[in-house]
Amino acid sequence: MNKNYFILFGLLIVLSGGLLFLPEKTNYVQQSPESLMWDIVQPTRYISTDQVAKLIIEKDPLFQLVDVRPDYDFEAFSLPNSFNIPIDSILTDEANDIFNIEDVNTIFLSDDDIKADQAWVIAKRMGYKSVYVMKGGLNCWIRTIIQPQKPSESAPITEFELYNFRKGASIYFTGAELSTNSDIKQEVSITRKKKETVAEGGC
Amino acid sequence: MHVHEINPKKTLITLTIFVIVIIVGLLTITNPRLEYKLTPNETVELVVWDDSYVFPYELEDVIVGAVDTVILIDIRNTFDFSRGHIPGAENISAVELLSEDNIKRLKKLQKEGICVLIYGETQLQANGPWMVFRQLGFSNVKSLMGGYQYYALWKDNLADSYGDDGYLLGAADFDYSDIASNVNIDENEGDSEKTSITVNRRKKSTVAEGGC
Repeated sequence: MNKNYFILFGLLIVLSGGLLFLPEKTNYVQQSPESLMWDIVQPTRYISTDQVAKLIIEKDPLFQLVDVRPDYDFEAFSLPNSFNIPIDSILTDEANDIFNIEDVNTIFLSDDDIKADQAWVIAKRMGYKSVYVMKGGLNCWIRTIIQPQKPSESAPITEFELYNFRKGASIYFTGAELSTNSDIKQEVSITRKKKETVAEGGC
Repeated sequence: MHVHEINPKKTLITLTIFVIVIIVGLLTITNPRLEYKLTPNETVELVVWDDSYVFPYELEDVIVGAVDTVILIDIRNTFDFSRGHIPGAENISAVELLSEDNIKRLKKLQKEGICVLIYGETQLQANGPWMVFRQLGFSNVKSLMGGYQYYALWKDNLADSYGDDGYLLGAADFDYSDIASNVNIDENEGDSEKTSITVNRRKKSTVAEGGC
């Protein structure tokens, strides 16, 4: 037995001690700052309130709404079928379970779009792929969907179509909660309208 | 008969090669150029407790030159920039700002304690880039409340915007549940006029957000 073997052995032991000082690796793949910035400068993450309204009315199974407002705000008012993940608990396991559902797009929303956008940046950094932001947030939701404004007489026909869709959506969302005199006939004509107008957006 | 008895230097040579390989390996580990300095949890804390905004009325001192510890960076495209910008602002896009030269410059500015104020057309446009730079450890990078749109609205009397809160974002403009349970749209103008009044009142506070 050569004593060099002991030297080699000792060297390996010493080197393996170095592993203790390596930075702790996380078990997820984060997006690099550069590619995160590329995603940020593109406006493709924004979904208009009209599109969201259409998705809810059609009961599209391939999307989910995540409300990042605090829970007391969420309890006071929330969009149908939305989850509540306050922005400070966005890294919890429950949140991870919700974001990780395959093929389901997650749309963040908040009062405005700033908080939702911040949640989006964090989710994007954590490597979640299909995450989006509802443009304008709930403020815009109220302005466009719940209280649509009638376009002026000279407005193009598409404006009126959009207005009709929004008016119908307003009845759909508020009438359903109230169950007052929103008659079915109106609802039907509304669903017919929305198809043509969703693409136009506005928010 | 053992190998080493033939050539006792053999293990020594192996040992040397072994050490050289390890040293070369350690030296050539490539670190990514940019690394997050904030952990995801710290980032969440940052956005929950963020205080790195600059209010529009604070700009006045910067523009007249009374404060020289702030530089303005306009991250909008060159077209928008050429049509109007805050005096003294440089036009550097967010992606460009991550280039090697600009990162070096930002580091230098950070050491000198100079604040880098970035703004876009709206606050939302600067929000993402601002978050990236904060996550990279540039605590001197701040974002302008209300963005350029709000500035343009008040540029002749910036100091007066002190009393205005139109740039405040993230708050609810409505009591949603109240509104959602009281909407009654009918074909006649009756109620829709009432609602349009609410909207008009709110218009002022929303100009800065844009987008709608």
